[in-house]
Amino acid sequence: MTVTVEPSIFKIVKYDSKEIAGVAQEMLKLLGMESTNLLIDVDETVAMSRVTTTLSDPVHILVMSSAFENLKKPMTFSIDNAKFSLGRGLLRIRDRQSGNFADAPTDEDLSVVESAVWETYCVGRLSRLGLKVHKQRWQYNFRNRHGFKDAVDKQFEKIWEADGLTWSQLSEISQHALA
Amino acid sequence: MRKFFPVEDLARDERFNQATNEERMADPRGTSNTGVIRKARSTNRLTPLRPDATDAARSLMHGIMVGEIQALEGAGRTCFDFVTGEEAPFALKLDMARQCWDEARHVEISVKLSEWMGTELGQFIENTVLFAAACSQDPVLRLAGVNRALEGLAIDVFTTMKEFGELAGDPYLAFCEDWMLADEVTHVKMGSVWLRKITENDPERRKKALEFQSVVDKIFSYGGLRSESDESPILLARRFRELAGFSDGELTEIADVSLAALNERREAVEKTLASSPA
Amino acid sequence: MADPFKARNPFAPWDRRELPGMFDVEETARRVGHYKWAEMKLFEVLGGWIATVPEIDVKLRLGTHCYKHAWHAELWHNRLPELREMNPERLTVAPNDAMVRFIAALTEPEAPEMTIEKLVGVYRVFIPHFISAYTFHLNNTSQITDGPTSRSIKFILQDEFDDWRDGEMLIQTLLTTPAEVKRASEHQARLEILLIEAGGIAGPGTIGSAFAE
Ligand SMILES: [Fe+2]
Ligand SMILES: [Fe+2]
Repeated sequence: MTVTVEPSIFKIVKYDSKEIAGVAQEMLKLLGMESTNLLIDVDETVAMSRVTTTLSDPVHILVMSSAFENLKKPMTFSIDNAKFSLGRGLLRIRDRQSGNFADAPTDEDLSVVESAVWETYCVGRLSRLGLKVHKQRWQYNFRNRHGFKDAVDKQFEKIWEADGLTWSQLSEISQHALA
Repeated sequence: MRKFFPVEDLARDERFNQATNEERMADPRGTSNTGVIRKARSTNRLTPLRPDATDAARSLMHGIMVGEIQALEGAGRTCFDFVTGEEAPFALKLDMARQCWDEARHVEISVKLSEWMGTELGQFIENTVLFAAACSQDPVLRLAGVNRALEGLAIDVFTTMKEFGELAGDPYLAFCEDWMLADEVTHVKMGSVWLRKITENDPERRKKALEFQSVVDKIFSYGGLRSESDESPILLARRFRELAGFSDGELTEIADVSLAALNERREAVEKTLASSPA
Repeated sequence: MADPFKARNPFAPWDRRELPGMFDVEETARRVGHYKWAEMKLFEVLGGWIATVPEIDVKLRLGTHCYKHAWHAELWHNRLPELREMNPERLTVAPNDAMVRFIAALTEPEAPEMTIEKLVGVYRVFIPHFISAYTFHLNNTSQITDGPTSRSIKFILQDEFDDWRDGEMLIQTLLTTPAEVKRASEHQARLEILLIEAGGIAGPGTIGSAFAE
């Protein structure tokens, strides 16, 4: 596994590319993705938390700077936030590598609803791997995209607890929630 | 207890981290459309359609919550800092005490909404600029800077959040924002009324207060957070502002200042990147 | 239905209000002026303290209570002209110097570590004295001639009891060690001594005399 971080020296945020690479390697191990090579591209001009992944070799991860940020001390690095943001992106990659998500749109083309569904699936799994997760945040995101109803919450729980889903299964649950 | 309490001493529990506005302004990053994000959305306005809508709304709600805490503290200080009758009319202080109660409720509402949205208290940095505007030694300047400029911004923010809640179908958000909006219009009105009353025969003082108000408006528009452009997350809520006593001319001025600030932020990002060694 | 033209008593059998009262118009105005002054000092200090306390629940209660005391001050401000005091400011004063010193001592704590002192001053000293002054007034004023004052006092007392309960419960959450209990009671004693010297919120005789003449 090789991990490259761009830029190697940050001009705006106080991040260290080696530290980011270290966190990425740790996450690759945790997710059983040791054979994956990564190119992590951090856009430090944007204070947003978006992470966009592209399946290639190396796998390309485009990260907006707030995805790695300590939000209590802006422009400084947070290991926890970096782990969590990379974890979500890497799980999407792992899902794609499995072949069960061949019919999923690229990250850039995911609709806001599809994105919320997949995030729920990823964060649920990360919480079981021991990462600190605030479930209510993801529930709120899911509700924003599917509606504020008990039936929607039930579908959220289904995804949150699940492992080994395929893209079509995920989409089906989402359709149920929207119905 | 001292009269005139400095912003650096604002008391908070261990969860909160504070930054001055200067510190926040030193962050040149934008949330504007670049790269991938540009493709995903055509507007920065905070609506549920934005891919980052949930997190942006959570962050804004946290900003509202700490803003409400500071509005509460500022109104409280105006009750205490000035000698009744000599420095501030009794009725003005009664209005400020009423505002304390309203802002305390607003904190309660924002805390509950934050929990509902999955945000922890103190999760984001707190910008202390609102209280800073409430530190003026002239109560009229406080009313211009806080009640007219900042609570005016609150009207814009709540209007944006209310629409967000309605579009998303969130049963609590739209309901709560509507209630808070009603209170804020009252607070802005208090500012407009007292500014007019106290400076009726003192054009110099009125001029100073209005200048202070526009400085505060400019500070808050930094980065184009609020304007009539689609590139700003928060829409300038013209109608509610009219209700709160702003004139047409004043509204146009705020809109112009806000747009200029949006452009300034764009240039700042470009400058930082160009000036740093590769 | 009973015959509407049959003579009835102006006071229904259950209406036991009496004419005599302990206070004439002038004395009532004097007391009301002191109440207003004291309520003003209280809402001002509560407002000032909001920024100084780190405990968020305390911060919010202070903000809420600040308004209630401002409203009480407003009720008294509006009552004064009805009591023939056309310049309400003339009577909006402390009853004596000791009361001024009490307010200064009450208002003194500022540091963020002094929430106990702030709350004890208000909820274990000042508000209990408000409750007793208002109760004495309510029970001794003419129930017929001074109806407006009585009505205001009833509203105000409801607030005072509610806020006292809030404040006392907050204090109980802050007192976790014997040393803190001692701190609280020492501050309370210091303030109570000043209020004894003042004779209460309206000066000597605020709650009458308990002794046989
Ligand atoms: Fe507010
Ligand atoms: Fe307000």
